[in-house]
Amino acid sequence: MAQIALATGFVLILAGIYGALTNRDILRMIVAFTIADTGVNVVLVAVGFLPGRTAPILDAAVPVAQAAERIIDPVPQALVLTAIVIGLGITALMLAYAYRLFRLRGSLDISNFTELKW
Amino acid sequence: MTFEWIQIPYALLTLFIILNYGLLMTAVVRKLAARVGGRPGIPVYQNYIDLVKNFALRSKISHGVMYYLGPVFRLTGGIGLILFVPTIYGSSWAQNFAFAGDLVLALYFVFFGTLGMALGAGESGHPHSAIGVSRGLSQVTMAELPLALAVYAIAVQYQTLSITEIVAAQQGGLFNWTLFTNPLAVVAAMFAFVGTMMRSPFDVVLAPQEIPIGPPTEYHSAYLALMQTNRAIFPIAKTIIYMNLFFGGATSWAEFAIKAFLLYMIPAVIGVVHPRFRVEQSIRFFLKWGLPVGVLAILTV
Amino acid sequence: MVSPVLILAIGLGTAFSLGLMKPARTRVLFGITLTALGVMSAIALGWTLALATGAAQTAEIHTAGVAPPFAINLRVGLPEAALLSLITLTGLLAALSMRAALLRLGRGSQAVLLVLVMAVSGLVMTRDLFNLFVFIELIAIATAGLVLLSQDERAIGAGFKYLVVSQIISILLLVGIIFTYHATGSLNIDDITVAPVAFRGASLAMFLLLIALIVELKPFPANGWALDIYTSAHPGFSALFSAATGSAALFVVDKVVAPAGTEWLPLLTGIGLLSFVASNIVALRQENDRRLLGYSSVGQLGLILAVIGQRDVLGDAYLYVAGGLILSHAVAKAGLFWMSSMVRGRKLEDWAALRTRAPMVLAFATFVAMLVGLPPFPGFYAKWDLAQALVAAGRLPVLTLILLGVLIESAYLFRWFGYAIKREAAENGLASNPVDCGITFATVAGGWALGYLWGNGPEQFNLLATLPAITAVVFILLEPLDARIKNGLAIAALLGWFAMVAGDYDPMRLIFAAVMIPGGAVILLASFTEKGRRLGFYPSAMAMYAGLALLLEATTFFEFFAAWEVMTLGSYFLILRGRMSEPHALSYILFSLGGAFAILTGFALASGGVQPHPIDGLQDVAAADLAPWVFVLLAAGFLTKTAAMGLHIWLPGAHAEAETDVSPMVSGILLKAGLFGLFLMLMQLGRQSLYGVDLTVVLAYIGAISAFLGAVLAVFQEDAKRLLAYSSISQMGYALFGVALMNHLGWLLAMMFVINHYVYKSMLFLAVGGVYKRTHTKLMYQMGGLITLMPFSFVSVLVGIIAMSGVPPLSGFGGRWIFYNAIMDADLRLPLILIFMAGPVGFLYLFRLIHTIFLGQLKDPHRKLKEAPVWILVPQMIFVAFLIAFAVLPGMALQKVDGYIGSIFGDQPLVWHGRAITSEFGYWNPVAIMAVIVMVFVAVFAILIAKNHDAQMVKQFNIVFSAERPYRPETTHFAWNFFAPYRKAMGFLETPVVTSFWGGVTGGINGAGEFTRRFYSGNGQTYAAHVLLFVVAVYLIAMGGIA
Repeated sequence: MAQIALATGFVLILAGIYGALTNRDILRMIVAFTIADTGVNVVLVAVGFLPGRTAPILDAAVPVAQAAERIIDPVPQALVLTAIVIGLGITALMLAYAYRLFRLRGSLDISNFTELKW
Repeated sequence: MTFEWIQIPYALLTLFIILNYGLLMTAVVRKLAARVGGRPGIPVYQNYIDLVKNFALRSKISHGVMYYLGPVFRLTGGIGLILFVPTIYGSSWAQNFAFAGDLVLALYFVFFGTLGMALGAGESGHPHSAIGVSRGLSQVTMAELPLALAVYAIAVQYQTLSITEIVAAQQGGLFNWTLFTNPLAVVAAMFAFVGTMMRSPFDVVLAPQEIPIGPPTEYHSAYLALMQTNRAIFPIAKTIIYMNLFFGGATSWAEFAIKAFLLYMIPAVIGVVHPRFRVEQSIRFFLKWGLPVGVLAILTV
Repeated sequence: MVSPVLILAIGLGTAFSLGLMKPARTRVLFGITLTALGVMSAIALGWTLALATGAAQTAEIHTAGVAPPFAINLRVGLPEAALLSLITLTGLLAALSMRAALLRLGRGSQAVLLVLVMAVSGLVMTRDLFNLFVFIELIAIATAGLVLLSQDERAIGAGFKYLVVSQIISILLLVGIIFTYHATGSLNIDDITVAPVAFRGASLAMFLLLIALIVELKPFPANGWALDIYTSAHPGFSALFSAATGSAALFVVDKVVAPAGTEWLPLLTGIGLLSFVASNIVALRQENDRRLLGYSSVGQLGLILAVIGQRDVLGDAYLYVAGGLILSHAVAKAGLFWMSSMVRGRKLEDWAALRTRAPMVLAFATFVAMLVGLPPFPGFYAKWDLAQALVAAGRLPVLTLILLGVLIESAYLFRWFGYAIKREAAENGLASNPVDCGITFATVAGGWALGYLWGNGPEQFNLLATLPAITAVVFILLEPLDARIKNGLAIAALLGWFAMVAGDYDPMRLIFAAVMIPGGAVILLASFTEKGRRLGFYPSAMAMYAGLALLLEATTFFEFFAAWEVMTLGSYFLILRGRMSEPHALSYILFSLGGAFAILTGFALASGGVQPHPIDGLQDVAAADLAPWVFVLLAAGFLTKTAAMGLHIWLPGAHAEAETDVSPMVSGILLKAGLFGLFLMLMQLGRQSLYGVDLTVVLAYIGAISAFLGAVLAVFQEDAKRLLAYSSISQMGYALFGVALMNHLGWLLAMMFVINHYVYKSMLFLAVGGVYKRTHTKLMYQMGGLITLMPFSFVSVLVGIIAMSGVPPLSGFGGRWIFYNAIMDADLRLPLILIFMAGPVGFLYLFRLIHTIFLGQLKDPHRKLKEAPVWILVPQMIFVAFLIAFAVLPGMALQKVDGYIGSIFGDQPLVWHGRAITSEFGYWNPVAIMAVIVMVFVAVFAILIAKNHDAQMVKQFNIVFSAERPYRPETTHFAWNFFAPYRKAMGFLETPVVTSFWGGVTGGINGAGEFTRRFYSGNGQTYAAHVLLFVVAVYLIAMGGIA
């Protein structure tokens, strides 16, 4: 199970990066990066997963005393939450940039923005 | 050796002898050269006539201070060279002021007159003077080189820079002369000798035909007289150095007279039978022939 | 002491609260932002001070009240506090620099700036991996926001490219973090230590983590995105981006790699060096100032990354070295970016506008010197320690690459500085205003303060605490005064210093000191001619003299090297003052730095890392295997300074184009520093052989070749000062030959040249300079016949050339006499030939000098010229008097030196009795020579006067040639190509072999730069691909090495 999730995560990352590198359209690049981000998140969760354990919520079902044996590691999950939030922020910023770029030149083709070089 | 006042009259006497010898000998050589060319040539006393005439000239001009001083430098150079070198080995009085410096002094003092002369000629503003100086200096850079190497070779050979000691080392027989103990150095030095005696094929500096008499072009009257005086003594002074370094020196005035004459005749003879080199040709000549001999000389001592 | 976590809290809190306030009151908001940044800076500075003085201990801050790894912890030790100060102060100044944009865009932009500063500070403090990620992402977002502050619309594209790469970095980082966590079970950086990194999964995790952080450092070639930001962003922000973000990212790499173990260090070294060298090469072809600074930034970050890679061998010095380099880079780069906001044009030449404000030039010079690592700035001390440690650890290739990179970097930085000083300044090219100037000067002050601090390091020789250096600095402050007052003070300072130290020196050092210090004062007399304030002259000159003074005082390797660099820098600024000297000053500083690096390496080899190492300790290595290499390196450095053939091409231009009073300083005095170094070296190391070749013989050959070719080249010059410059090469060749003879008389000969060359070369340069002041030309064929108009100048040239050519009776003859005695028992025969050849060639150029200027025909435009200014003549007449006195009484200077050299070689070949000198081979009686010559001269002169006292002065054209009377001086003055016959015969020696060689080297490097920069296509996707390919390539290479 964990292996499948891990593999899926990496496939998503690679697919996302491939998309970001091959699509000239800025919006498509942003979407591709979102896919890659999702892949990263899946990898994060998959690494933290331990088979046969329950969610790290301490309630009646999981007494505090047995928590260490019964729950999976909560840290990766916390990380994923944070990463999702940050990813959202970055995506939003990229979209804002896309808007500015489009307004600047009426184009969303990244190869049109190469006046800075050498 | 230290200074005593009596040395001054002694030195003046030496100078007087050399001057007269020089005046006569150069005239004789000129006459010989003329005869070779099928001309009658000058009388042997011609130099005296020229000297007196030039001293007596009444109209004289000057182009400036250096122009005025040029002949003074020139003649000082010639006289000084004689005074810094002992003339007769073993003589109690013909040692001049050799105590002031050794061989190195003589070698470098040669340039004193040349430099002053060139400066004086330069101020005349005559382009021929400048051209003559340019040619002369260019040529001398290479022509003097074999001499410098030869001198170094024999200084190492005799382990001294003192001219007197070098002459002393050659005493006691013909085969003690440097000519036989170190022939390579002598051959090298003779390249320089022929190259700097202002005779064909190395006389383009004066070039009597194209640039009338080169550096001294503008000189006349007493200026020229001083230069003529120098022209009489300077070659002798040089010959004395060569004689002392390579040909056993002279122990008497007679020996001096013969050796100086014979040495002087070498460039004269070469001169009358050779056409003139251009400057770059003579530089190449010394580079090709003089330098290798000089190098061999310093490598083999 | 308030908790450092407040830095984060204040930053974040103010950023949020700005959003709550009225957006209209822009000035109030901006005031609040500034206050917040100010308070953050104050806290950081307070901690730095407390930690540095020991008043506080390293602070460990546990958030959430739980010990790590269960909660994030922050740490503030001395390095962290120093970096925090740097970051917050840069933030504060950057806010001021960007004030217009921040006020225009209002509170949002200010909040983003605060967040950026806060996040960068957090990056420095945090010890938690994931927290690291959060801060990095915050920085990315804030950066992308602040890029938009720029008016340049290209910045939008740049910002997007940046975000694309940030995405890739964050992917790498997150995957790296989670696998590291998986392997170690902790997110705390300090726990990485205890976990085994041996197995493959963990090392891959570590690799991803590190490489993500490294890409954040913009390594070559995965850095196109960063360069675009540097080019287009607001310079105030670029400063922050380079100084604060860059430094923090470096610190993070260090933080992570420290526990990860030393096997990761070669990776950092490799990437860092590649980045440093390649970025600098590419920067050579840059014409845009900000992009150039960008390349320089990524290069510097690469350098420091490489230094982090050396942390295993740096030991205790690690913080000192890395810190020195980081701070130098940050301060200088930030300062330059801020300055660029004042310069209106974007081309490098546009910086010429700085000239309108002298303090700006000082600022520029300070920053350039800091970047290149010149004294007295921290980078200099750091570079020294780094070199010592690297050589001690056997990492010579690393050091070589670093020095190569620095050399290339100095090439474009000094070229740029040259543009600023020399190029045409555009009208109104500088938008200077009090705030931006204030920012710049605060940065300059910071740089100098850091220089002092670094000099004050443990067991360190503090350059800025020495009297000569302080004097030089004081002259910066005296700049507003009139030049004549400053000149008087300068002369007094030099003489005062000499009076203070002269008593302690051995005779040899004393001769050098006399030439360098009071000798300098004599030349300075000529500077009384200059009117006005003469900005820049005195600080440069006094820096050079300070270097010389310290050189003579130096007792350790470091002191010597520091003095050497100060001298080089001062003389560079002096040379650059000449009207046409821009390219020549550049080649001067490059050759000098190259030479200095050779010296640095040589010293490092010799010391084996022991600091401080006394110069006298050099003899301890004389028997070691590495001694010949030390010899080669040191000699190469010193020969660069004496301009030995092959390393000489900087000299003719530098000496010829310098100002009238500078030429004698750099020629007559400065060249002697190289000889001084050679003496010191040979005294300690003695003869050395490399592969069976006696190195002193090699030196003798180099000396002979220089003596000969220098003279030949001098003959062919039309420019009087170039002629003198080539003559210096020749003269130094003689001196080098003398030193290399390694016998008593050889050394005495060299000492004689030290004195003589100073006197006659200074005199000739001054005379020619005086003529130049009147005729406004240095081309000799345009002059002629000046003897009657400038008689004093003529006399000094006359005396000078007689002395120089060695004709008796002047002092040059003494040199020749000692020379002949010296070679009598030398085994070297072949190089002698060259020396013999050089002698008469000297006549050629000297005669040409005097003839074509003073003799021959006077030109029409010169008929009303006056003699050179009197203050230029005064030192010349002093020199004339000295030359004549020295000719008659050489013993006054030489006898003691002779005795001293005798104590070194244990022999005494010269016997001094009375006024005469006797050697084993010959004798020399200077008084008698002078007396005879004077007597004969006077006698002959008297005869001539008796006969020709009534000679009539005639007019100029009273000559006849070719049956015509000339009317024009131009057609009659024989001057151009004066030695045409000599050129026909020996002209082949003029072939510019050496110049073509160095031209080929620089052309090749420039070509590589031009080729490489095409790599930066400008396409964001390409850049992203670069990053990925870079990561893959590094992985393949590194994992091959580690696993």
